Parts: sequence; C-alpha cells; structure tokens
Amino acid sequence: MAEIVLSGVTKRFGDFVAVHTLDLAVVDREFLVLLGPSGCGKTTTMRMIAGLEEPSAGEIRIGGRVVNDLPPRARDVAMVFQNYGLYPHMSVADNIGYPLKLRGVPREERAAQVRAVAAKVRLDGLLERKPAALSGGQRQRVGLARALIRKPTVFLMDEPLSNLDAKLRVEMRAELKHLHHELAVTTVYVTHDQIEAMTLATRVAVMNKGIIHQLGTPDEIYNEPADLFVAGFIGSPAMNLIDGRIDDGTFVAGRLRIDGLGRSTRESVVLGIRPEDMTIGPAGSGHGDLPVYSSELTGDSTLITLADGNTRIAVRADKTVRPAIDDVVALRIDPRRCYLFDAATTRRLAI
Amino acid sequence: MSDRLLKYLLLLPAILIVVLTTVYPLAFSLITSFRDWDLTRNLEPTGFVGFENYVYALTEDYDFYDAVRVTVWFVVLDVAATVLIALGLAVILRRNGTLHRATRVLLILPFAMSPALIGISWRFMFNPEVGVFTYVLGVLFPWLRGQAWLADPTLAMAAMVSCDVWHWMPYMTLVLLGGLASLPRDSEEAARIDGASEWRVFLDVTLPQLRPVIAVVTILKTVFALKMFDQVVTLTGGGPGNRTATLAYLVYRVAFSAFDMGAASALAWILTAVLIALGAYYMRFLIVKAH
Ligand SMILES: Nc1ncnc2c1ncn2[C@@H]1O[C@H](COP(=O)(O)OP(=O)(O)OP(=O)(O)O)[C@@H](O)[C@H]1O
Ligand SMILES: [Mg+2]
Repeated sequence: MAEIVLSGVTKRFGDFVAVHTLDLAVVDREFLVLLGPSGCGKTTTMRMIAGLEEPSAGEIRIGGRVVNDLPPRARDVAMVFQNYGLYPHMSVADNIGYPLKLRGVPREERAAQVRAVAAKVRLDGLLERKPAALSGGQRQRVGLARALIRKPTVFLMDEPLSNLDAKLRVEMRAELKHLHHELAVTTVYVTHDQIEAMTLATRVAVMNKGIIHQLGTPDEIYNEPADLFVAGFIGSPAMNLIDGRIDDGTFVAGRLRIDGLGRSTRESVVLGIRPEDMTIGPAGSGHGDLPVYSSELTGDSTLITLADGNTRIAVRADKTVRPAIDDVVALRIDPRRCYLFDAATTRRLAI
Repeated sequence: MSDRLLKYLLLLPAILIVVLTTVYPLAFSLITSFRDWDLTRNLEPTGFVGFENYVYALTEDYDFYDAVRVTVWFVVLDVAATVLIALGLAVILRRNGTLHRATRVLLILPFAMSPALIGISWRFMFNPEVGVFTYVLGVLFPWLRGQAWLADPTLAMAAMVSCDVWHWMPYMTLVLLGGLASLPRDSEEAARIDGASEWRVFLDVTLPQLRPVIAVVTILKTVFALKMFDQVVTLTGGGPGNRTATLAYLVYRVAFSAFDMGAASALAWILTAVLIALGAYYMRFLIVKAH
C-alpha cells in the first residue's frame, strides 16, 4: 500500500513560489503523469516527494506515513533524474548495481540482475563504459535502469525518455507500461510528450505555475478540459481558442456565427474547438466564410490555417483537401464538439 | 624588426631574472657540492673533490640520518593531519549557512601570517610557566601540567606539527572547498535516493570524485613539509638535541655553523632532488588531469 498524499505543499525559493499549496493524492498502484510547461514545478514536486527538497509548507505522506522529516533513503523511493544524476567515476554496470550493493546483494546476483535490466533498456555491450563515454540517450537509460533494478514503494520518473529517438521511445514506453502492470508500483511520471502521457497514465495532473489545473483520466483531460489552460495545453495541434460573445445560443466572433450552443446570452466568452473537429467546404456552406492563410500537407492530413481578422483558426482537413492560399472557404464546425470558457475566470462553461 | 625577434626581446627581462635569481644559484650550489669550500678559510670554493661531499653526507655524518628520520616523521604526520582535518572541515563548511560563509572568509587569516612569526608566538605560548597552551592543555590533561613541551622530543615534534597544521590547514580547506563546489550535486542526490547513508554517500560518491583535488593538495603539502625550516628555527631550534632538526635545518647548520659549504650544498642537493621529483610528478599530474 503506497498512496502518496500531498496536502497544502508549497515550495518557495526566496520570493519565488515554485509550487503553490498543492493538494494531490496519488492512489496506490496508480501511474500518475505530471504534465505542464517548462518551469511549472514538476521537478520540484518530485524532489519534495523524494526528500531532496524540503517543502516550505504542507505535509507529504507516503503509504500513510508522514515523510516530511525522513531522509530520502528512509522513503524507499526510486527516481530517474531529469539530468540523469549518474556516478561519473563508476562503470555503467556499477552505476546500475549501486542500489543493490547498498542493500548487500552478493556480487554474482547483482551482476545477473544488472545484465537483465540492462537488456531491458538496450544497454547490453556498454556495461564496462564510464558515463562520460555514453551518448545522452544512453546515459538516460542508465539512469532508468538504476531505478528499475529496485522494487521500491514508489517510482519517480522525471522525463525518463526525453532524450531517446522515436523508435526507442516507443519501445521503452511499452517496457514501462508492461513493468507497471507487472510490479504495480505507485508511479509519478513527468513528461512533455502528450502521447506518452495519454498512453501510460492512469490519471494526468496538468500543472502550470506551481498549481494543478486539472486532475483526471487522459480521456477527461482531453475531452473535458476544466479551463482555458488545460484546453490550450492538451492536444497537438493545440485547440483553437476564439474570443467572442454568445447571443441567444449563437457564438459571434468576427465573421463566425455558430448556433446550437444552448439558449444563453453572455459577453466575453472564449470558444474552444479542436482542429480535427472542423472541416472546410465551398464558400457559403458553413458557419462563416474565411480566407485561407496557409495550407500545410502533413502526410496523413492537411493542416489549414484560416484568418478571421487577426485571429488564426487551425483546421485539420482530409489530405485530399488542398485549398490555395487566399481562397475563401466556409468553416464547418460541429457545435457538439465546441467548448465555451468564461473569459474572465477561464473556467469552462456548461453548454 | 621582425615579430619573432621582438617576441624574444620582450621575453628577455623575465628570462634574465629567472636565470640570475634561480638558475645561477642552483647551478652554483650544484657545482659547489662537488668542491671543497671551508667558509672560515676561503671566500671562494677551492678544489674539486668529486663525490666526496655526498659520500661524507651519506656515510660519515650521522646527523644526516637523524635529519632524514625527523623529516620523514614530520612530513607523514604533518601531511596526514593537514589533509584529513582540512577535508573534514571542508565537508562541514560546504553547507550554505551564514555562519559557514563567515567561517570560510576567516579561514584565510592564518595563511596570511608569516611562518617565522607563527613559530615565535607558538614558542611563547608553549612556555612552561606563562604559555597559554601549556596552561590550557594542563587543565584539560592534568598529567601535562607544567610540562616543558619543547624539552620533550615527542611533544616538541607534536608542537611543530600542530603549528604547521594550524598554518596550512585553513588554506587547504579552501582548496578542497573549491573542489567540492565543482562536484555535480546530482550524483550525491542520486546516491541518497538509492539508499546510501550520508557516510556512504561521502565514501562512494563524494570522495572518489574529489580524488584529483586531494592528490594535488597532498603533493603540494608534501613539498612544503619536506622543506620545513622556519618553525624549526623559531619554535624548537631543532631541539631537544637534534630531535626536531629537519633536513633543511641541517643544511643551514652545516653551512652557517660548521661553515662547510661543500657538504651543505651536497645535502641541499639531496633534498632538492626529492623536491624536483615530486614537483615533476605534480606537474605531470596537473597536465594529465587537464586532458
Ligand atoms: N534551487 C532553485 N532555486 C531557485 N529557483 C528554482 C530552484 N529550483 C527550481 N527553481 C524554479 O522553480 C520553478 C520550477 O522548477 P522545476 O524544475 O520544478 O520546473 P519543471 O516543471 O521541472 O520544468 P522542466 O519541464 O523545464 O523540467 C522554475 O521556475 C525554476 O526556475
Ligand atoms: Mg523538470
């Protein structure tokens, strides 16, 4: 049993607040992904759970036990560092085997376990090298292997795959997914890769500026964003966020008129619509006629940017649709896929 | 004038100074070590005697082996104590508190003092009747009350070692602090996460990475300890007997008490050879490390 509970955890560096009264409960055996832009406090949160950073306020519990005053080694946490944190004077094998050495595992057994985990992260053949003689991606996998060789209460992984090539990243993702299924160890995982987040996470916590904006399943985060930040941050290409107003259930902005959005009337709202939930058609056949600003072929689809005054609207259309720049086309929007946000509070509004 | 010529012309003053102040005296003493020169009778060296001065130093002059024994003891105790205490202090002072920072600044003070002056003041403080060290140590360890420290061979050596440790240890602490500051913190953090106690972190992660700096500090301190002279003169006068007379002090006595410049030069060159070997090792170490 190892749930992690953060209650009112704050971290200040001088006057700067890196993590702001964070409340977060990671359920036992959960795979929780921390997602957020650079500098939002993900690493700081991890380091506080690990015991490398002392919270300025608040309480951290692991498995029901308050760990605020426990040193890292008493917390039984394995961590993959964002900047690897390898032992430069030890060989790869000694790096990976060090946690076992500390636990008094005999040499032969240690060597066998090192070989097994090194094979998992595709490091075989590099075991005798020193970290300085490895590429960034190889070093990262040494850090990963050093964590995976343990059976800790909690795994903390800070962007463990960020430096791998696309193919290796997919392989490692599968390894991690399988390993989590096999060991069922509570895991907190930081990533910038949304596919990684979506595929690995039991739940995702979306952070910005030291605050959690939404905590939910990948499905909830994607389909029911709680506010403008989550809506704009999740999804690639990003959701279109268009300033306008609601006039008796019709969204009005520039040349756009989208009806079927309830019955209310409201000033200053933001309409959110994902590029893949729109198409284009001949002028006059949709919710507004707009000139094509640019058109990019991405392989499986065409990414079309339309201009409505100074507002740019991205549309993901079928790859056979190939409008020319400055063509005027109609934007067709599925009103059921639209989100409305209060421009002042940034919270999502019910439609 | 060509650039090439100008280049050498500009170097000339520096080369001249080095030649006049270092190379010439060194060469002169090397030659003297193969000649007979009794300063009471001649103002210039006289006839060449081959290796006679060296043979005399190594076989006849029993003071030489006493001086070697004293020097070796002094170097071993001095270097070990200085490096170990400096390392311990550096680890403690590494943390970033206000008190730690203030102490780090104060550390430079002992090193700013003249070694001869330190010797004289320590001699006074070891005075059996009025010395503050004698008094405090006598209170802490009653059997040492009223002890004439500098009259006992072991205690005189201890006094000389502590005096030099006091002088050098702060500076070495600063050097080691610099070394510690340049270590990446994340490998130590990783070790803590991996389950290492603070002691294991130090042994397994900090110390191995600090080894080059420790080596530099040790070699440097060895060189300086080998040529220990000032405090022998000012603190113990080489005594009791010749029990704290180091090699450098012996050279001085043979030259300016016995006025046997040939034998003194030979002795000096034996010491110099060891120093040059250590110096070369030190330079090679630095250069290898730089690559
Ligand atoms: N030791 C420190 N002293 C001062 N400020 C710090 C310190 N550590 C982190 N910060 C600040 O705290 C904020 C959060 O940092 P953190 O490393 O947690 O970001 P992150 O979310 O992990 O970002 P990234 O995705 O770039 O790794 C940043 O603005 C950073 O500048
Ligand atoms: Mg980070």
